[in-house]
Amino acid sequence: MNFRFILHDLHANIKTWLRSPGTVFWTVLFPVLLILIFGAIFSGGDEAEFNIVVQDLDNTTLSEEFVANLNNTSLLNVIELETGKNVTEFMHDEDEPVALVIPKGFNDSMVEYIESQYNPTIEFDDTNLPFNLTLYFDPSDQTTTSILRSILASVIYQLNMNITGGETIIGINEESSVGEDFDYIDFFLPGMIGFTIMTSCVYGSIERNTKYRKDGILRKLLTMPITRAEWILSKMLFMLFLSFVSTLVILIVGILKWEVSIKINIFFFLLIIATSFLFSGIGMIIGRFVKDQETADMAGGAITFPMMFLAGTFIPLEIMPGYMQSIAQVLPLYYVNEGMRNAMIYADIDKSLFFSAFVLVFATVFFMVGILLTKWKED
Amino acid sequence: MIQKTVQCPNCHKILSCSGSPGDVVELICTGCGTEGKVTFEKLISTENAAIEVTNLTKVYGDLVAVNNISFTVQIGKIFAFLGPNGAGKTTTVEMIESIRQSTSGDIKILSKDIKTSFNEVKEKIGILPQEFRSFEKLTVKETLVYFSKLYKKTADVNSIIDAMDLNDERKKYYKDLSGGLKQRVGVAISLVNDPDIVFLDEPTTGLDPKARRKVWEVIAGLRNRGKTVFLTTHYMEEAEYLADHIAIIHKGKIIAEGTLDELINKHGEGSILRIKNCSSKDAVDVLKENGFDAHAEGNGDVAIKIEFKERVLDVLSILKHECIDYENIDIRRSNLEEIFLKITGAKLSEAEQ
Repeated sequence: MNFRFILHDLHANIKTWLRSPGTVFWTVLFPVLLILIFGAIFSGGDEAEFNIVVQDLDNTTLSEEFVANLNNTSLLNVIELETGKNVTEFMHDEDEPVALVIPKGFNDSMVEYIESQYNPTIEFDDTNLPFNLTLYFDPSDQTTTSILRSILASVIYQLNMNITGGETIIGINEESSVGEDFDYIDFFLPGMIGFTIMTSCVYGSIERNTKYRKDGILRKLLTMPITRAEWILSKMLFMLFLSFVSTLVILIVGILKWEVSIKINIFFFLLIIATSFLFSGIGMIIGRFVKDQETADMAGGAITFPMMFLAGTFIPLEIMPGYMQSIAQVLPLYYVNEGMRNAMIYADIDKSLFFSAFVLVFATVFFMVGILLTKWKED
Repeated sequence: MIQKTVQCPNCHKILSCSGSPGDVVELICTGCGTEGKVTFEKLISTENAAIEVTNLTKVYGDLVAVNNISFTVQIGKIFAFLGPNGAGKTTTVEMIESIRQSTSGDIKILSKDIKTSFNEVKEKIGILPQEFRSFEKLTVKETLVYFSKLYKKTADVNSIIDAMDLNDERKKYYKDLSGGLKQRVGVAISLVNDPDIVFLDEPTTGLDPKARRKVWEVIAGLRNRGKTVFLTTHYMEEAEYLADHIAIIHKGKIIAEGTLDELINKHGEGSILRIKNCSSKDAVDVLKENGFDAHAEGNGDVAIKIEFKERVLDVLSILKHECIDYENIDIRRSNLEEIFLKITGAKLSEAEQ
């Protein structure tokens, strides 16, 4: 391994990159623009974004606390409806797409169930389960409806978990992943870093494999003393350089404009490095199978665009339909995004470790396959 | 001098003659008087071989792209590999450059088998691949420095810039250069490691005549610097202008090989000396009596087939001696296009496969 060759090639790559305003734009300014646009849209004020009508027919301490917890999620604005009013008429008159009705006897049933868990002598009729809350929704407003349904599902899931686990019945504020301490920008910034590394590495690798092949540079290098391994390592270092530059710019904008609180730790760096290798590997694989630049760009888009939208970069996975959440579970960017969030925002070491391990596995597999498929020799 | 024995194709009498390598000797059968020519092949020494190719073959499925070809490139010479597009030129040169795997055959560069010693050979060769384009946002000098630093042995970049006449462009980005200048930079890149052998694959394709001529001058200069040049081209005038030795490839096979003179003498019709507006009707007879293959062309012109340039002076002295006046003379030589046409039945420029 000749490190002089590697550093020399890396230096030339950085030099040509700095002289290309287009590529600098896509690597640095484009993510900044996205942050500013999405940040402005979703972090515009303190008001909750989604209204939900709640009619509490039980009117007990438990039901009131449940409503209060719904209200405490920063995404919901609860509009309480008096018990005597017709829910569907109110929804129609006020143009509210979703309403939740807490049935009478909710508190009693809950208490009875909980007591039965602690005292085996108390008999509880399981056929009463589950305690159904009635959800009214407007089918014509699918977007808001699906988002609100997903948020509610998340809150109720949390509630159920607490009850069956014998812990505090209403624990949304403490346990919810949509906690009030975090804004949308906290969610979005790590996703933006993952997305930017993905695009720069995928497209960067594709370009180097297709353009350099077309221009005869790979054929030229094949006849020179620099080895394929040295060349790939040099390109990887260049991709890492781009990843750190774009991450730095995103963090600066996030901190200066949105006062995002960043936790820098080992997982943060590990994820940036592993993500660079992961998506460079994917780019190398695409670059091996497509011959011309135009097709390569289309192939890159076909890989990165679905991941951008399905892997929870812009929109929380929890508010997506179930089948889309299932798709996200197999996308590498999902693990990058979640790993980044848990490492640099939530500082959740266990989850950081969990998601980083997945990213490392993905990176190892894709990069190794990429190396094996990248060849200079012609058939 | 080499002694050679041949058999008369007419009466089958065994005849002997002598000549030097590269000579074409006229011979008249002492038995039946049949005239003929004997060619003394140029000796090719493997001791001076820069490249030795033996029985090289490349097969893609049912297609035999290169079909059992053998040739030797001498050190310090420009070797032109001439053929129409698709004839197998680039496949051959890329097998020699170890870019492509051969199906069978042996290749030695500077006596080293490239299958086992290509890493040693890398430092001694410089390559300009076909349709090569360098990094757009590096200047000419930066480009040469970039490639030179990827070798252990390097030549002085400034002297290469001088030799390639690129001083005015040294600070220009590669992307801003004309096609001709880009090709000159490509040739310059192939010299950054001061190689013994330079491979130039179609270096002037797509260039205008002026730019092409400039690249030719640069390539001709390589020979003066002691480099061996392996040039692939489909321009017959390029091979005629530059090459010391030419191999013509057609449908994967070498169909003719030798110096330009050898190819013309062996496959062409030699040179035709045309006497314009000859004053004497006896000129043809007089020239024939002196052993020339002459005939009248009907418009007062007389055409004489000339095999050696010295014979032109003989013709002129005969005309002077016989007091035969004429308007002027014109000499036209057979070219590679005619040779290709004669061997393959197709024009080189139209024989793309």
